[in-house]
Amino acid sequence: MTASSPLISAKGVIKRFGPKTALDGISLDIAPGEFFGLLGPNGAGKSTFMSLVAGLRGLDGGTLTVAGEGVAAGSASARQSLGLVPQHIALYPDLSAELNLRIFGELYGLRGSVLGERLDRVLEAVQLADRRKDLVKTFSGGMQRRLNLAAALLHQPKILLCDEPTVGVDPQSRNAIFDFLKKLNRDGMTVIYSTHYMEEATRLCSRIGIIDHGKILALGSIDDLLARLPFEEEIRFPASAETASLASELPSFGDVATVEGVHQFRPRPGYALSAFYSLTERHGLPPRLFTSQRPTLEALFLQLTGRTLRE
Amino acid sequence: MNPILVLVRKDFALLLKDRVSIMLTFVVPFSLIYLFGQIFHVNSPDPGPSGIHVGVVNQSDNPAAAALVDALKAEKAFRVVTQYVAADKSTRPLAEGDLRPLMRADEFRFALVIPKDIIRSDGIGIHLKTYSNPRNEIEAQTVNGLLQKTLFSNVPELLGQSLEARARAAVGSEHLERFNSAVASAAAREFGGDPNRIKADMSAGNFGFRRIGESGAGKATPASDALSNIVKIDNVQVAGTDVKSPAATMLVGGWAVQFLLFALTASATALFREKESGLFQRILSAPVTRGDILWSKFIYGTCLGLIQLTVLFMAGHVIYGIEIGRQFPYLILVCVFAAAACTSFGMLIAAVSPTRESASGLSTFAILLMSAVGGAWFPVSFMPEFIQRISRLTLVFWSMEGFSQVLWAHATLIELLPTLGWLTLITVLIMSVSVWRFSRGRIFE
Repeated sequence: MTASSPLISAKGVIKRFGPKTALDGISLDIAPGEFFGLLGPNGAGKSTFMSLVAGLRGLDGGTLTVAGEGVAAGSASARQSLGLVPQHIALYPDLSAELNLRIFGELYGLRGSVLGERLDRVLEAVQLADRRKDLVKTFSGGMQRRLNLAAALLHQPKILLCDEPTVGVDPQSRNAIFDFLKKLNRDGMTVIYSTHYMEEATRLCSRIGIIDHGKILALGSIDDLLARLPFEEEIRFPASAETASLASELPSFGDVATVEGVHQFRPRPGYALSAFYSLTERHGLPPRLFTSQRPTLEALFLQLTGRTLRE
Repeated sequence: MNPILVLVRKDFALLLKDRVSIMLTFVVPFSLIYLFGQIFHVNSPDPGPSGIHVGVVNQSDNPAAAALVDALKAEKAFRVVTQYVAADKSTRPLAEGDLRPLMRADEFRFALVIPKDIIRSDGIGIHLKTYSNPRNEIEAQTVNGLLQKTLFSNVPELLGQSLEARARAAVGSEHLERFNSAVASAAAREFGGDPNRIKADMSAGNFGFRRIGESGAGKATPASDALSNIVKIDNVQVAGTDVKSPAATMLVGGWAVQFLLFALTASATALFREKESGLFQRILSAPVTRGDILWSKFIYGTCLGLIQLTVLFMAGHVIYGIEIGRQFPYLILVCVFAAAACTSFGMLIAAVSPTRESASGLSTFAILLMSAVGGAWFPVSFMPEFIQRISRLTLVFWSMEGFSQVLWAHATLIELLPTLGWLTLITVLIMSVSVWRFSRGRIFE
């Protein structure tokens, strides 16, 4: 593998479960040091792709290499270079935090003082050093998530696979996990992060693949992806009886989606915002009802699939 | 609808969706009821055990002895073994010297020797010798009772025949005929009856002794006491004579295996917990194979089983005085093989079950059934013969056999080898199926 060659390379990867095709010809490259996001709704194929990279399942078609080595063979060196943070809290709740980490460290061949030093370091990094002797079941959800992350780092992998690692986490712990992941990435670790939260992908990832029904629909940096949208601003206003007549008129000028009680209007190319505000005046609606913002990946997903990420 | 009825309907709807609960509610009790019915011969016109192997050595040339062997063969409860089958399949009549080795090899646990001097020379009566290995108290009492019943039903007639034969030999047929005619005429004259009938009965050896047996066979009555004075039976116990706590020693094996099965099956089904919590994902993403996980479970289960059994036998030693000291190395050996077999059974349950709940239901069903069939609850010899054959395919049977050999019969390593071989075979077969099922199943996905 040369310096410019990808750390992970997928070419036409296919994975089937019975009659269902979970991954349908996925092709993508991930460079060393990237923070790569895999964004898609539940059931899109994110976890399946992660499990293939981790060598947990075999491929039904295509090729997948990690550091130039095929993962299907499940070689020890390929596994040593990977750390997996599963979607579930994959820890033994009746054992202490330290014993949990010791078990997973030893599975990677760490022993003695090296293991001890690594344990100290990761527990410090996830701010659980003072709780190391406590049973995992006594931890809060956020603490368990942090320990779940720490368990994947003991063997100092080159690549960290995070499969929706913040599900059910409070905002404070989520921020702590984000900061920690960013630091790891800054220190040179390649991170692959799967999520169905558009905000997480936007906040963390330098490059994102949008996946749905086992296919990559779009791939690139945030700016690249958003540049695909035919509008620069998205206008939001509450979905109410007051705005109903305006909302019914807007499809002539662009796309309108309604998500959680909010209309999202994406004007067609060439449609001037001044024309929109004239229209609101005609309907007698006050300007305070309307906010204009840069479009998000949610809008892109909607445009690509006709569905929202939460559907 | 009344809320109570709505909630009741909901519970029935949930029950119908839960195959495990349905199995535990209906299939398990039905299977056990059927098995118990078979064991206790419920509704059978011919109750009682059948096919219990009994070795019979006939050293006498007295026709009465041959008649006794025939009477034993006619008894449904017994399968009489009179031939010794050598390694080259050649046969010869069973000899008394064959009994101990055959009984230690568990070919049969009871034997009757009809000695050359079946007719006692020191008085009127019959002399017999029994060999027994009473490693199961219920079985021993039942077989002894049945043996006595058969003997006491036939001995009186035999006794009369033997008296008649001896008299004929002593005084000659002509004198005996005259003597019988005179006695028959005198009896008819004094007590009534047909003198020809009385004479015919006397010639057939029917002196009315049978009525003694009928009035009290197998019971501690004056009549049976009288009969037992006539029939002298010497008993030789071939195993367990120096066992200090026979009752506890007989029981401990069956209970130990049952607890072992429950513990190790629960341990194996913990695989589902690890699957559900995503731990297998984490473990398998490390340089660890599925085989590593399975064999780690097998080794763990075997060690756990060994520890459990050792603690159990130690407790038996402290509480009930079960002797384990002399045989301790062999006991540990049997424990290891039994624990390995039970662990493989637990792995099989986990391998064939789609969920933890179904594994739990299936294991309860299988353990209860296997314990009953394997002889942990009742002597195997009480069961119908087709169940006895199935019994020998269960790990419960061979584990109990091993414990009995060590603790009851103080078997040597050589004697233990066949039992250990069977346990190994069962372990290998079950583990092969388990590994095959695990490789095709989705527990690791």
